[in-house]
Amino acid sequence: MGLLSPLALLWAGLLAPLVVLYILKRRRQPREIGSTLLWELALRDLRAERPWKKLIPQVALLLQALAILAGALALARPAGAGRVPAGARIAVVIDTSASMAARAAVGSDDTRFSRAIRAARDLARSLPPGGEMMIVEAAGNAAVIAAPTRDASALERALATLRVRGGGSDLEAAVSVAAERMRGSPSGSRIVLITDAAMSGELALDGRSVPVEVRKVGEPNASSDNTGIVAVDVRPRSEGNTPDRADVFVRIARFARTPADVYVTASVEGRGVVASRRVTVGPGAQESVVIPADLPPDPSGRAPIVRVELSLASAAPGEGTGDALTLDDVAVAPSPGVRRLPVFVVGDASEPVVRALRADRDVELFATTLTALAERDDDAPLDGLVVYAGPTPAEAPPGDSLVLAPTGESVFGTPLGPEVRRPQLVRWEESDPRLRFVSFADVHLAASRTVRGGLRPLISADAGAVAAVLVRPSGETTLLAFDPARSDWPTRPSFVVFFRNLVERARAHRATGGVPPGRTGEPLRVPAPDGTSVTVTTPAGETLRVVSRGGVALVPTDAEPGVFAVRVGERQLFALRNLLDEHESDVRPRARFTVAGVGATVRVADRVETQEAWPYVAGALLLLLVLEALWATRKGAT
Amino acid sequence: MSSLLEPEFLRRLARLRVLARKRFAGSAGGARRSMRRGSSAEFADHRPYYAGDDVRRIDWNAYARLEELVLRLYVAEEDLTLYLLVDTSRSLAFGTPTKLEVAKRIAAALGYLGLTGSERVAVVPFSSALGRGFAPARGSRRVGALLRYLDGLEANGETDLTRAVDQFLARSPRPGLVAVISDLLDPGGFERPLDRLASERHEPVIFQVLDREEIDPTPGGDLVLVDSERGTKVEVSLDARAIAAYRARAAAFLAGVQAYAKKRGFGYVLAGGEVPFEDALISYLRAA
Repeated sequence: MGLLSPLALLWAGLLAPLVVLYILKRRRQPREIGSTLLWELALRDLRAERPWKKLIPQVALLLQALAILAGALALARPAGAGRVPAGARIAVVIDTSASMAARAAVGSDDTRFSRAIRAARDLARSLPPGGEMMIVEAAGNAAVIAAPTRDASALERALATLRVRGGGSDLEAAVSVAAERMRGSPSGSRIVLITDAAMSGELALDGRSVPVEVRKVGEPNASSDNTGIVAVDVRPRSEGNTPDRADVFVRIARFARTPADVYVTASVEGRGVVASRRVTVGPGAQESVVIPADLPPDPSGRAPIVRVELSLASAAPGEGTGDALTLDDVAVAPSPGVRRLPVFVVGDASEPVVRALRADRDVELFATTLTALAERDDDAPLDGLVVYAGPTPAEAPPGDSLVLAPTGESVFGTPLGPEVRRPQLVRWEESDPRLRFVSFADVHLAASRTVRGGLRPLISADAGAVAAVLVRPSGETTLLAFDPARSDWPTRPSFVVFFRNLVERARAHRATGGVPPGRTGEPLRVPAPDGTSVTVTTPAGETLRVVSRGGVALVPTDAEPGVFAVRVGERQLFALRNLLDEHESDVRPRARFTVAGVGATVRVADRVETQEAWPYVAGALLLLLVLEALWATRKGAT
Repeated sequence: MSSLLEPEFLRRLARLRVLARKRFAGSAGGARRSMRRGSSAEFADHRPYYAGDDVRRIDWNAYARLEELVLRLYVAEEDLTLYLLVDTSRSLAFGTPTKLEVAKRIAAALGYLGLTGSERVAVVPFSSALGRGFAPARGSRRVGALLRYLDGLEANGETDLTRAVDQFLARSPRPGLVAVISDLLDPGGFERPLDRLASERHEPVIFQVLDREEIDPTPGGDLVLVDSERGTKVEVSLDARAIAAYRARAAAFLAGVQAYAKKRGFGYVLAGGEVPFEDALISYLRAA
């Protein structure tokens, strides 16, 4: 640690005359008298009378005063100013992986993440004059959340936006991003990585020319013991005649040196606990549990969502495991009933199409017409995939839909071109989930119309797009501007695969109401018309409100596993958030860091996050001062 | 002629002599009331007659009334010895006039009265120990020698009344009137040595000599007061607060001495206060 202004130490030279001034006695005239006996008694009376005696400068008093001044200076925490030269920059890289949600120490309510934020705040407070600080979030992707600034409030606002994410963190990338932004910074600048190091292997941190300092948060001891759910699935039971019978598969991992007895409890909202098992998980081992359960749909026909929870065998269900990480003590999964997908075929769909749809045993086909749909009394949207063969309504229905060989001039506002005979397919979007494992290399169309407008093309022919995707906040429409029956596509395996992909996508959208499942801490991306207020109720009961923009309401959430109930107007959606990551459930600090310095790679000293002891030291100093002062001042009175 | 015997002083001493007779009652032979029964003319008591008693002392009038033989007892009379314990410690060298000068005058006055009253008078100077004293003498012819002796006393040494009294009593002096002339500013205290004198059948009389400045100091100045005997230094600012505290302590000290003397039945005279020591001495002798 260097001194920013060494010459300032010359001020300490003033102590000498100060001490002399204190030590010098007042000049008094000596006078011999017969006896000082009565004067001694009188002065003692004076001292006893007055609560305050006359200040008599002495060395002890001066030393005590200096000690108090030093203590006050220590309380002012000048260390920060000493660490960062004036004008230097600090890039604080904060690990926001799920393991950062683990508790920081046994018996502490602090999480590693909260301590990391506190450490970042301390760094922000200790910025010297002219110093700047930037903040980089190290999640799955590195993101600069605060550019270099000396504005403390801006830094505070940026820190307030940070949350523990559900996945891992790419610390190396985050440090690289920070190093890139620190290029050309003045000497004395550095990158401070705040992490729990709960990851395997050796990480090479490349700060380029900027020194990298690693601060660890969390204690590497028993506080890191953890038991968590690393996988969960609910599948229909293959035997038996009961269609609602299901098996809940749960895999539990223990990351500790001691075994643990835990209860695995499956419950359904509105029904409570449906099954429970006790299991012993050995140290460093994983145990799989299969829990049979009846999971009928609720009275409204909605398939239940199963909540699996871990709790200590010695505790009541619901009290958790009390271990380091709580994020992995709960997991949610949709029940098999969610797989049942109603498919409404509007118009005369060709036989190959119907056959391909029926190839999925969980698809229920319903044939109908546009007229029948128009005369329907129920205003609720059709809960399933709607397949239009030929004519289409003027407006797209909510939810997912498939349009085959449209006959109108346009489909849901998208104009169509004239029919083209024998178009040659030249390109298709292999990355689109609908076209996963689908190839049109040997497919020949007899005829097709072309799709105009700004739709995203899915399949393109030499004459233009023959298939496209219309994405709306309330759902997706896949438009095939040709009749598959008038092609050799149905004879190819890719035909059935395409419809299976389409059905699976619709099934996923239906299960979550359009909100894709994700990891804990990931924001909810709720499709909703612009300006729509989206209300989200978290698993903890907290209510969040966000207004949709650009067709999506982006709802930031805390790292919290469970079901987020989303309401968009009249629609009730559900978003599932799980951790289910054994790498993140293993919260034991174990990573090793190396820093690529200038021409050499040096190992970073494991620097555990400082649990500052200065308040205790200062308290002890004050106590000593009080005791010493009492002793020094009272001994003369005895 | 000694300065202790100035004409005016001698004149006042003559007055004191007349008054002293009331206290030192007796004839030219010099006599003092004794605790013992003796043959003086002053009746003391009766007691039953036992064989062998002097039949001349039988009270026949009482026999006539009581038909019982009783003897008449009279107060025994013996010579009075006046011991003048004069404090000559260094603290007596201070004051205007010096406290030693005042002490000498008191001793001279008492000695003059004693010698002219046919009492035996001895002077015992003391500081931390007894000094060479003036041997017991009787008769007015010894007045000159006494005054010359007193005139030659000088202040020196520390006050140690306890040790001085112990050494005085070790000489087994005849019980008498012991005039302790001192400022009593003794860290060892004055009560115990005076109690010892009384326990040895002496009758202590306290002549406390203090300078006016010691009773009521003058304010002003930041001083280092140096004890003349012990060398102790006391830093004091003579402001009103300190002066008040000192006055209170001095008054308490004087009151304590006075109360002690009254409780023990000792005579007490303060010399150096607002009242001149001669007047104080006269008042004492009148009250005796």
